[in-house]
Amino acid sequence: MRKLDSLLLRVFLYGLPIVIAFAVFVYPYDLETSDRAGGYIKALYNFGGFVFGAWMILSIYLSVRLIVSGLFREKVLAKITFIKERDEREEILTGKAAKSTMLTSLAILLFLLCLSCFQVSVYSERPEKAIDGKTTIVSLNVNFNALQSNQQGELEELLQKENMVSYSGLPVSSSAVILGLIIWQIISYNFSMRRLLK
Amino acid sequence: MAKLAAQLKIINRLHIFRAEHRITQEQLAKEIGVTRATIVAIEGGGYNPSLELAFRLARYFKADINDLFSVEEESK
Repeated sequence: MRKLDSLLLRVFLYGLPIVIAFAVFVYPYDLETSDRAGGYIKALYNFGGFVFGAWMILSIYLSVRLIVSGLFREKVLAKITFIKERDEREEILTGKAAKSTMLTSLAILLFLLCLSCFQVSVYSERPEKAIDGKTTIVSLNVNFNALQSNQQGELEELLQKENMVSYSGLPVSSSAVILGLIIWQIISYNFSMRRLLK
Repeated sequence: MAKLAAQLKIINRLHIFRAEHRITQEQLAKEIGVTRATIVAIEGGGYNPSLELAFRLARYFKADINDLFSVEEESK
């Protein structure tokens, strides 16, 4: 691990409480309020903004370093995920636990893909649009978008109809899914490792 | 061919060698450069060491590797 990376990682970690403290401090103030308050509040607001900006740039730099540098990745992520490879047996068990985690994560991802692609809707149509005298329609769709598209039109169309039951993809944000998967990876690996070490 | 595919069981006499040399699992682990859990696992038959580790153990006890580890066919 390069000395610069090590230093920046420390700055990132020690800066975290400062960023949190700043976030708590500025919570009651917005840009206008702080501008009107003047004095030390305005100075602190500006300084906090600078610290937060620097911390954001640092976090992007470190996450890119994690991708491109194998050594940095191993040093940092091994600590975060509590990976211990003190001898050959632990190396083998780490491999088995990693395999188990990878396969379960893949299974979860496939399940999430199904949930995010499938759309189910049960709605009532107007009597003039009835099909064979039936006004209750069950609509099934598979929707896959590589890019996030604006589905406002489709939503408005759905809202105009009398929806009884409607399901259109995962009701959670992509950030929540990513965070959930990160936490899952760490928990799953450690659970598998503990089971194998017994 | 069927004989070669039969399940083999590795028998080790590590605990006997250790007792003869009056050395604890912890001490042996330190000397060999592994964790105590690995020595426990080898002695209990839960883990078969790599060739390298097997030779390191044999060298430590100044024994032939065949005296330390042997193979027998597992009955079904």
